[in-house]
Amino acid sequence: MPHNHILSSFDDELNDLRARIVKMGNLVEKQYQNALRALEHKDKILAEKVRKADRIIDVMDAEIEKQAIQMIALRSPVADDLRDIVSTIKISAGLERIGDYAKNLAKRVSVIRHEEAISVSSAQIGQMVTEISGMISDVIDAYITRDIDKAIDVWQRDKNVDSIYNSLFRELLTYMMENPQYITPATHLLFIAKNIERAGDHATNIAELVYYINEGELLALKRPKDDSSNYAEIDAN
Amino acid sequence: MDKTTVQELIQPTIKARNVDVYYGETHALMGIDLDIAPKTVTALIGPSGCGKSTFLRCINRMNDTIPSCRMTGKITLDGEDIYSKNIDVVQLRAKVGMVFQKANPFPKSIYDNVAYGPRIHGLAADDKDLDEIVFSSLQRSGLWNEVKDRLDKSGTALSGGQQQRLCIARTIAVNPEVILMDEPCSALDPIATAIIEELIADLKERFTIVIVTHSMQQAARLSQKTAFFHLGKILEFGDTSEIFTNPRVEKTKDYITGRYG
Repeated sequence: MPHNHILSSFDDELNDLRARIVKMGNLVEKQYQNALRALEHKDKILAEKVRKADRIIDVMDAEIEKQAIQMIALRSPVADDLRDIVSTIKISAGLERIGDYAKNLAKRVSVIRHEEAISVSSAQIGQMVTEISGMISDVIDAYITRDIDKAIDVWQRDKNVDSIYNSLFRELLTYMMENPQYITPATHLLFIAKNIERAGDHATNIAELVYYINEGELLALKRPKDDSSNYAEIDAN
Repeated sequence: MDKTTVQELIQPTIKARNVDVYYGETHALMGIDLDIAPKTVTALIGPSGCGKSTFLRCINRMNDTIPSCRMTGKITLDGEDIYSKNIDVVQLRAKVGMVFQKANPFPKSIYDNVAYGPRIHGLAADDKDLDEIVFSSLQRSGLWNEVKDRLDKSGTALSGGQQQRLCIARTIAVNPEVILMDEPCSALDPIATAIIEELIADLKERFTIVIVTHSMQQAARLSQKTAFFHLGKILEFGDTSEIFTNPRVEKTKDYITGRYG
């Protein structure tokens, strides 16, 4: 860890900023757990709770941004301090986006009605949520402890999310072809899955920012990209 | 061709090699190697007593005036050894001008302050020529509009920021190649500082500037190259943009971010 600043109030502010990110990360992670539970149990009250809690995340993001801008104006940070503060703004914005996707999941709970399509797919949605929760929690951990190895690990795990998404995509297409009644719930589930897949990309971005804060350089490895659904075709016959 | 290769092709104006300086028993500078590129602003930063002003004063042999001061190593200006026996120190100091922390105009008129150098160096053919040098120097130092109606008034009657610009006009009147600045803004308010900084940015089109500053922000704003001095050594030297975003040396980082090293 770096040395303390001579002006200890600057360290206090930096620590406060980090604490806010941790709090925000925890809340976003919890949003996914709750949204998944709401989906599995068709719990509209819980879904509504998730939607409301998203506003708290939005406020947290705005506050982090405000504090960071204030620190840039008043402290004139340079070097790793500057990278830290600027990246924190971006990390906060990333978490806010990840949170939006959880809210979107909760929104769709009330419109997904077809039992069968849900029961088979929700296991895989559950897997995606478990993956994404782990990524959020680990990337925040890496941010706090400045652990680059952990950040790289999160970065590489995005391909797991992508591969579950790809298999779910194919499966839902098959359902829709078999029975037009599945089209509405399967489409909603597809959007949910796509959103979680996007959340994974944002978590990967955060991992890259953690690397940048520490190293002052961009993560040079080739980004793990495994969403092949862009190229998927269905044979209508 | 990328930026670095172009830079490598340009010969440095000032080259310091293995420079050591002692004040009596005190070893103030150790093994300084530094290349200063032409028509750029190079900032020397570091904690008090790190040797940055000592190094600056080596470049125009100001340390010669301190009896206990001894230097070894080599400093060249355009390839010429400035410590060689053939060098006329007065000529050297015309070629390598200096601006100090506290503005030090002569107790003479504004005109005579600027005309002093060209007169003693015989740079003007006649009075008209001298006027030309004085007026253009005052224009280039950004002071002309403020003093053109009172050139016969005393230089010491000007405000602090104006006095400092008068000293800069006096320095550039002898058409130097290099301007050394030792904390030129530390006694000025923010507006006067901004005016001098703007001036320095203009001056680098014609002159090579080396500036010692305690203000990290000033070094960041003004310079293209930064050298970090610590306990008589240069620990890091490089592009200012790189030093202030991604310093390679832990001590540099601790210093510029205000940490305990």
